[in-house]
Amino acid sequence: MTTLTRQDLNFGQVVADILCEFLEVAIHLILYVREVYPSGIFQKRKKYNIPVQMSCHPELNQYIQDTLHCVKPLIEKNDAEKVVVVIMDKEHHPVERFVFEISQPPLLSISSDTLLSHVEQLLRAFILKISVCDAVLNNNPPGCSFTVLVHTRDAATRNMEKVQVIKDFPWIVADEQEVHMKEPRLIPLKSMTSDIVKVS
Amino acid sequence: AKEEKTGLLASSASDKKVVLLPCRNPPSHERVQLWLEARKQYDSLQKERREP
Repeated sequence: MTTLTRQDLNFGQVVADILCEFLEVAIHLILYVREVYPSGIFQKRKKYNIPVQMSCHPELNQYIQDTLHCVKPLIEKNDAEKVVVVIMDKEHHPVERFVFEISQPPLLSISSDTLLSHVEQLLRAFILKISVCDAVLNNNPPGCSFTVLVHTRDAATRNMEKVQVIKDFPWIVADEQEVHMKEPRLIPLKSMTSDIVKVS
Repeated sequence: AKEEKTGLLASSASDKKVVLLPCRNPPSHERVQLWLEARKQYDSLQKERREP
């Protein structure tokens, strides 16, 4: 039995890989469930041993991948406090937010034998919650778009500078109107705590 | 002492929380809709060719 610690060379990378894969599935599913794009571009795939809807539109898929490539170095260094998928109306005002709060436990003692199956179980439950979230949410206005916000620290932004240049995918500081919603209503969907990451 | 103070100020400023977003926008709904219609036409043409 192998025990991983935060000091292990690849620990941050493992967490970032797992979380970015999860966020990719979650973003595709949110866009499908909240009808941001036509349902015809989505195809059923199997992730975490359950069927999920994933886009087959090349440009959209590339956009989501580039976004997460830039976020990954922050997650790797435990510098991404929140990743938020924001649905915006035609006037670019946020109408809905899916907030993924990420934190990694300071002390780790995990067995690599049980790690993946346990995390997979938790992420599966999360995905299932997202897939039925439209039951508790109001319909969005037509013509919505989306963006992804990352809550981090100023000093940490250096970690993503290199990948921004490589991917030709620059990031900017969000305006107040892009971050805040009028009269927000909080609906907790799911919270999970595993040995390596806490997402709520 | 002044340098130390400046250093502290710099570190607290660099530790400031920020919210970032991509400069580029994702493809619009209309653009994706057009792509979907074109793909449907292409698929039906391909089907016709295979099964005349």
